[in-house]
Amino acid sequence: MPIDLGFFLRVLVFPGFIFLLALSLFCDWFERKLRARMQNRMGPSYAGPMGLLQPIADYVKLLTKEDIVPVQATRLLFTAAPVFALSLLVFTFCYIPIDGSNIILNSCFEGDLILVLVLITIAEFTVFLSGWASTNPYSGIGATRVLTQFLGYDIPLIVFALGPAFLSGSLSITTIAQKQAIPFIVLTPWTFILLVITLQAELGKDPFDIPHAETEIVAGYLTEFSGRRLAFIEIAKDVQVVLGAALVTVLFLGGPYGPVLFGPSALWYTFWFIVKMLAVIFLLEYVGSVAARLRIDQVVRANWRLMIPISLLSLALTIICAPLLSPLVG
Amino acid sequence: MTAVEEAVDHLRSELGKKIVECKILTPRRAYVLTKSGYHRDAISSLLVNSDQAGISAITGTDLGSEIELNYHIRCRGAIVTIKSTVPKESPQIMTITDLIPGAAFYEREVFDLLGVVFQGHPNLKKLVLPDDWPEGSYPLRKDWDAKEIEETTPNSGGQPAITNPLQTDGADSSVINVVMGPQHPALHEPERFSFKVDGELVLDVEPRLGYVHRGIEKAAERLMFFQDVYLVERICGICNAAHATCFSEAVESIGDIAIPSRAKYLRTVVHELNRIHSHLLLLGVAGYELGYEPLFQYAWRDREPVLDVIELITGNRIMTDYIIIGGVRRDLRPSIHDKIKSTMKKLKKQMKFYRNVFEEDPTVRLRTKEVGILKPSRAKELAVVGPVARGSGISMDTRREDAYAAYDEIPFDVITYKDCDSWARLMVRVEEIVESTEIINYALDHLPSGPYRVKVPRRQPEGEAVSCVEAPRGELLHYVKSDGSAYPYRVKVRTPTLANIISFRDIVRGSYIADIPAVLISLDPCFSCTDRMTFIDTGNARKWRWSLGDIRRLKTRS
Repeated sequence: MPIDLGFFLRVLVFPGFIFLLALSLFCDWFERKLRARMQNRMGPSYAGPMGLLQPIADYVKLLTKEDIVPVQATRLLFTAAPVFALSLLVFTFCYIPIDGSNIILNSCFEGDLILVLVLITIAEFTVFLSGWASTNPYSGIGATRVLTQFLGYDIPLIVFALGPAFLSGSLSITTIAQKQAIPFIVLTPWTFILLVITLQAELGKDPFDIPHAETEIVAGYLTEFSGRRLAFIEIAKDVQVVLGAALVTVLFLGGPYGPVLFGPSALWYTFWFIVKMLAVIFLLEYVGSVAARLRIDQVVRANWRLMIPISLLSLALTIICAPLLSPLVG
Repeated sequence: MTAVEEAVDHLRSELGKKIVECKILTPRRAYVLTKSGYHRDAISSLLVNSDQAGISAITGTDLGSEIELNYHIRCRGAIVTIKSTVPKESPQIMTITDLIPGAAFYEREVFDLLGVVFQGHPNLKKLVLPDDWPEGSYPLRKDWDAKEIEETTPNSGGQPAITNPLQTDGADSSVINVVMGPQHPALHEPERFSFKVDGELVLDVEPRLGYVHRGIEKAAERLMFFQDVYLVERICGICNAAHATCFSEAVESIGDIAIPSRAKYLRTVVHELNRIHSHLLLLGVAGYELGYEPLFQYAWRDREPVLDVIELITGNRIMTDYIIIGGVRRDLRPSIHDKIKSTMKKLKKQMKFYRNVFEEDPTVRLRTKEVGILKPSRAKELAVVGPVARGSGISMDTRREDAYAAYDEIPFDVITYKDCDSWARLMVRVEEIVESTEIINYALDHLPSGPYRVKVPRRQPEGEAVSCVEAPRGELLHYVKSDGSAYPYRVKVRTPTLANIISFRDIVRGSYIADIPAVLISLDPCFSCTDRMTFIDTGNARKWRWSLGDIRRLKTRS
């Protein structure tokens, strides 16, 4: 079998692994800078131009740090969970069309939306496992909070994600993105807003940063992690943010598709994808900046009493509207 | 008839011959010596007489052959000190915690530092000294020597005295023991709280103070009065002006020194600036504890101009060292009046924004409303002070009731909220900042001319004085006893946090883990104030001790 150089380049360099890592680090910087400016601070400014290299510097520093495993921790789980979480999330990107097509060409299939949602759920569960494996009271409470919170918002997240699927009549992420000549944010703005709020919880950002509320339970499930393992978890969290934003982009903002002015379309698609994604990240950071952290019982109550009925209502509304909107979808 | 005369008359009629001696030294201070064993009758009759009465502090003083206990009872702006003595060989006295539960920590402190056993105290354990401090070594006794602990081996059994509790109460129990501190992100100073939690619910808490106990009360006995002003300022960096004012007023009362009225106004200005920046700091920290980081950053940003103003007036940003016995250290230049006023104006405008945040923001309300309830009746029993009491609807403010500096000439409102929760305690502080800006403006407009200090001799006459000020965190009490030399015989400091922290157990029980920081911060605890010596880390095998000489050497160096 001849070695397909193009295939390897796509998987490893662009839009695969290296591009994804670079993108995650850039988004990390973007988030930090945004948050800092919203709080009237400078944010990263020393490493590289405008502090662009700060995330890289941080990871390099983490990699040089001592790696400690608590004596009582379940060693295998403690080691495997961070790696597993990162690889799951990176793998999920296979089904997101970044430059107009999937990382592995034509790997998209009818139903990959479901697969992606399942993978996200499993990745979240590995986070719980990592905390649980640490056998530390703070980690234990943090892990319990991860699971409690996650039970509440995972269902609404899936229901909201199904809205675009109904509109476009497809369960394939690429197809959904392609069918948005008019982005779905225009057609069903309510689902978009609710999805962003649910995503906020999924990503553990304010006001839902309960699992790692540092003033209550130190670093929550992260408390016992250090060095390489912590670096893995941190980078997995970065990738998770990018994935969340990417999901919103493909479901509601028309994915990578946008006007191609000149040159290769893949380049323009990547450009549009990143721009839309950064807009979503801006929105996420903004919501995070104007709210105080909620309490776990308040979140659970809000999820079961509000979010789930609202998500079902919104889905019903979308299904009712779908025939009316169908001339606009395409 | 003044409040203090009324109280003393009441005591005379109630107790009759059980009173040995009554002294009314100033219009708001009385000292009543009771026959041994009758202090309880005196205290309970004062408490019954007025519903505003509460205990401010208990001071133990080593008089040589006996230990004198001073119960400082505040009643309507006056402080009546009930004195009782116990023999030093067997220092035992009946507890008053059944009369007023708020005295629990004060009695423990005296037990800890002077070895007086309070019979009937529910939990007479160490409060500030380390758990492996040698038995029978009481640092505040006059015959105690630092060598005593350097030579004795601390309780050695190979087992460190402070250990972490087991993670659970048993294999089947769902109760988890969570230890917060001595190092914890929610605590900005080393202190330890051992919580019992079931799921997210807090069942109980046991606080342990003393990690930053520095022996300041003992050290103060070895410095001259004028030097002690700088020492007491270092009890707490944030409320240094309150400590300096309080100590200076106590010494001025002993020496019968009248300070110029310009100095009184300048003290007031610095004291209020102190309050503003302390409250802003707290509001910022509250934002951080609630996971509302922008609020934290904004409040601290707005605190900066206040610090600039303090620097303009005193030359320092935080540690002002401005107040001295007999007045203030330097005059206020008229050229900076405008700068101060414009800063106050901007700050007042900015406070509208913070009031809005606390009143309107739904997430802040969700986290602080109905959280950490402290009912007024319970607040009175626990004798809490300052914004904590005012947040429970109790209108008490030392500035109004026991006016010092220039507060008797300046109009201001005492802010109270009736909500009794964390939100109310934070709102009290928001409003107090606005009130403080008004006080500063008024003081600058009515600043009397004249000298700003008087010369004070180093030696002070024999005597004693209790001085109270309203520090940012509540009523601060200093008790100073002089034996006629240049050195104080005894200095006692009761910081507001010690009075307030006792309520923490009450208000946190039954709430959620997530509420712990929100509740704790609403008390604005300042442990470095509360602890005042000796560095012994009992958590592991490392132990080190600083003799008082070391502390003094360090102090002179810095």
